[in-house]
Amino acid sequence: MLKDIIKKEILETITSPKFVFTFLLCTILILLSVYTGITNYRAEQKEYTAALALNKKNLESQPNYNALAGLGTKINKPPQVLGTVASGVGEAVGRVATVTVAYDPNLVDSKYESNPVFSVFGALDLSYIVKIVLSLFAILFTYDAIVGEKEKGTLKLTLSNKVPRDRLILGKVIGGFISLLIPLIIPLILSLLILLVYPNISLSGQDWARLLLMFLLFLLYLSVFFTLGLFVSARTTRSSTSFLVLLFIWVVFVTVIPKFSVMTASQIYQIPSVHEITAKKDAFLQQIQGGAQKGVQDWIKQNSPEDDKDPQAQTAFQAKFKKFLEDYQQELTSKIDDNNAALERDYQAKKNAQQRLAINFSRISPASALMFASMSLARTGIDEHERFLASVRAYKPIFTKWVNAKMMQGINFQTGEQAKVVLDDMPQHKFEPEGLGKSFMRTLPDFGLMVFLIIFFFAGAYVSFLKYDVR
Amino acid sequence: MLEAINLTKRYEDGQLAVDHVNFKVEPGEIFCLFGANGAGKTTAINLMLNFIPPTEGTVLIEGIDAVKEPLRSKDYISFVSENVMLYGTFTAYQNLDYFTKLAGKRNLTKADYAAVLKSVGLQEEAFDARTKNYSKGMRQKLGLAIAVIKNAPNILLDEPTSGLDPKSGQEFLSLLVKLRDEGKSIFMSTHDIFRAKLIADRVGFMKNGRLGLLKTRGELEGEDLTELYIQYMEEREDAPAAPANV
Repeated sequence: MLKDIIKKEILETITSPKFVFTFLLCTILILLSVYTGITNYRAEQKEYTAALALNKKNLESQPNYNALAGLGTKINKPPQVLGTVASGVGEAVGRVATVTVAYDPNLVDSKYESNPVFSVFGALDLSYIVKIVLSLFAILFTYDAIVGEKEKGTLKLTLSNKVPRDRLILGKVIGGFISLLIPLIIPLILSLLILLVYPNISLSGQDWARLLLMFLLFLLYLSVFFTLGLFVSARTTRSSTSFLVLLFIWVVFVTVIPKFSVMTASQIYQIPSVHEITAKKDAFLQQIQGGAQKGVQDWIKQNSPEDDKDPQAQTAFQAKFKKFLEDYQQELTSKIDDNNAALERDYQAKKNAQQRLAINFSRISPASALMFASMSLARTGIDEHERFLASVRAYKPIFTKWVNAKMMQGINFQTGEQAKVVLDDMPQHKFEPEGLGKSFMRTLPDFGLMVFLIIFFFAGAYVSFLKYDVR
Repeated sequence: MLEAINLTKRYEDGQLAVDHVNFKVEPGEIFCLFGANGAGKTTAINLMLNFIPPTEGTVLIEGIDAVKEPLRSKDYISFVSENVMLYGTFTAYQNLDYFTKLAGKRNLTKADYAAVLKSVGLQEEAFDARTKNYSKGMRQKLGLAIAVIKNAPNILLDEPTSGLDPKSGQEFLSLLVKLRDEGKSIFMSTHDIFRAKLIADRVGFMKNGRLGLLKTRGELEGEDLTELYIQYMEEREDAPAAPANV
């Protein structure tokens, strides 16, 4: 009997116009999103390779280390292949950081910065389609699952037979879910095939595992709305009421809670603005620069050779001065770095607290949980961005030390000439992307929330249907 | 055989929808229940199908207590509603196949389905058509086909001819007579006094939840059933309807 109910549910859905519409729209949207994702990724990859080459060329073309220290080196954020599925914050945050001796590096030049119109509508990636379009489809498939049968009178006819209610609701859940999966699975498989065969797109074993986890997440997310639809359908007496209630809940889940949580968090944890922090850093820099000149003059006064015509004494003085400048420069840079790091730490701690509150609060909504988890799995989330920025900031003192040393070692005080730039021993920025285990651990609360909501809504639908007034 | 014993339903708001109703429908008998809208006819049917629990009393279907063993009792009863609404995207065959399987009947062939559909007077070209395009008469016939193929000894019909054109209504009632002749116990609530008189073996009048007046075919001979109905319904509201036990 269960088999018959499941079969009927599937047959009824796939012969309905809404299925044809859903299937076509799902296929077009999913394939389009993956195609645009791949195109964007390839463009970003090209841009990234070109930016690396240009940076190297720029560094090599510098006449000396002094110029190189002023120009700094550019660190480009590598594009993430899974950004094709979930672009995350990738398009909103900066992609390149300039590491110089003087300033704290920051990632700038985001895609939205260069093309602000993109920020108006956001990216049409798969996670967005699942979050908005497919969740609406899940509602469309279930809002009348029970109440609709009551209105039609088929529920009475069905239950005039020896059909236990628990088996009927189970059949409806299984059959309905399979019907919802069909328009989703086929285009998803097609998109996987595209990813597999598309040239220059290579997914590692870990990427495939991440992708599968993301698909599992999508299924869970849709199941939340599917079971919610059943629940509301089993609690209402008119399908129009059921649809309106579901639409209201959908709006609350998808737009109100995420936005409201960010607003609430920013009210609870007020943090200084970025400009305030920059102003503090600049003030300290000016203070150090002002004192530096005096420090050099004092050192010269104290250490100048008594006989300035003695060439040996002059040579010894110059060597000593070079060493002093190197150490002094290093000392001042360290002071600047320490001060900036302290300011940054304080700012980051406050920002993180605000961010954590906003994230945790918005996680009540499955739509937020979906976004956070898919971003974490695609390595395009806030955490990955901050990890990358931290790696760039950690690289700054390494680069500074190297360039300062080179600068001082390369100066010939007698001729004023400076050594040419050789990049062979320049330390390189290293960034280790987050491992799958850690990413997965971070997504566990999101998976957990979705499983909880599915169980809650299903149990609600089940119990409600057992007591449902079929008249 | 279908039997209601002291069947009572009082809703949570205090409304007494069915008030200690007793009746018995024997095999090979058509029992027609008349009553104004809100008299309690549909509630009585809902109680017999266990869609709602009774406040008091019970229903016996082939001797099985439908309140205590609702699922088992449903093996012995078929139901045709006032407005048979089926799965619109399914054909007559598909609808019939689904409900036949729910009724626990398997291994039936398309030829079996065609025979039943034919027997209820559905035109052959409609067998493979989607039922969303069916007229009400066609849907009622298909609803009856679903009841017929289940082959349950008792058939419950809730105003099955309402809204049907005279020809379809007549055809429908002829089918019921055929089923009665096969030995089925048929319980039908209806407003269609004129046609019901032609086929009913017994009639009952329901008012304010009470089954008040019962007449057999013999007692109706020479009586104007419409006049009788109007007279009964116009009796003073405070005059209690005489409880009838049959």
